[in-house]
Amino acid sequence: MDLVPLLQKVELFEGLTPEELQAVAGLCAERVFHIGDTITRQGEPGDEMYVICEGWVEVVPSAPPGAASPRAVVNLGRGQLIGEMTLVDYGPRSASVRAISEPTLLQAIQRERFTQLCEQDFHLGYLVMRNMAADLSFKLRHRNLTGR
Amino acid sequence: MAPVYKVSYVVAGEEHPGAILNADQPPRVGDQVTLGNRRFVVLEVVDLLPARGEFRFLHATLRPATSS
Repeated sequence: MDLVPLLQKVELFEGLTPEELQAVAGLCAERVFHIGDTITRQGEPGDEMYVICEGWVEVVPSAPPGAASPRAVVNLGRGQLIGEMTLVDYGPRSASVRAISEPTLLQAIQRERFTQLCEQDFHLGYLVMRNMAADLSFKLRHRNLTGR
Repeated sequence: MAPVYKVSYVVAGEEHPGAILNADQPPRVGDQVTLGNRRFVVLEVVDLLPARGEFRFLHATLRPATSS
C-alpha cells in the first residue's frame, strides 16, 4: 500500500518532499482496532505515536478529584495524531485513548526510528517538530473552545 | 494537492467533547456532518488560524441534528 498520498494529508508532514514522505512511510506499521479497544492507557510508558487513517477515537484523561467519572475531552478522526506527547517528552501517556468506530485503522510510528530519521534529515526534522507543535497548539485551542 | 480542511468541531448545548477531523471539503452552515455515529447540523464556521501550505484551519459550531 502506498502511504504517501495518505501522509500528505496529515498536518504533521506538511512541507515534506515526496522523498521525505517515502522515508516516513517506511517507518509506518498498520494497526487495526475495534470499538472499545484501548489504544493507549494513561500513565503507561509509550514509544509509539499513531496517525488515524480511518475511524474515530476518544481521548479520556482520568477524572479530576471530585468528579464522578472520567469523560472524553475530544474525539479525533482522520488525519489526527495520538501519542505524540510521549514521542517528544518521553513521559507516560497523558490520557487513555479508545477506539469508538468499527474498524479504526491507525499507522504506528516508533519513536526511536522516527527520532533517528529526524536527526539524519534536518529539513524533515525541523518541519515535523514545527508541525507537531502546531498540532498540539490546535488541540489546546480546541479544548479552550469546548471549555473542557 | 487539494486543500485539506482541519476542523475543530464544538457541539453547542450539550455535553459533547467535540471533535477534530481532516476533511476534503470545508463544512458550510446548514450542512449535516457525522461525528462518530451521530449527526449534527453546522451552525457557524470561522477561520481558526491562517492557512499553512495546503492546510486550512477551521472552527465549526454544531447542534445535534435530531433536535431540529
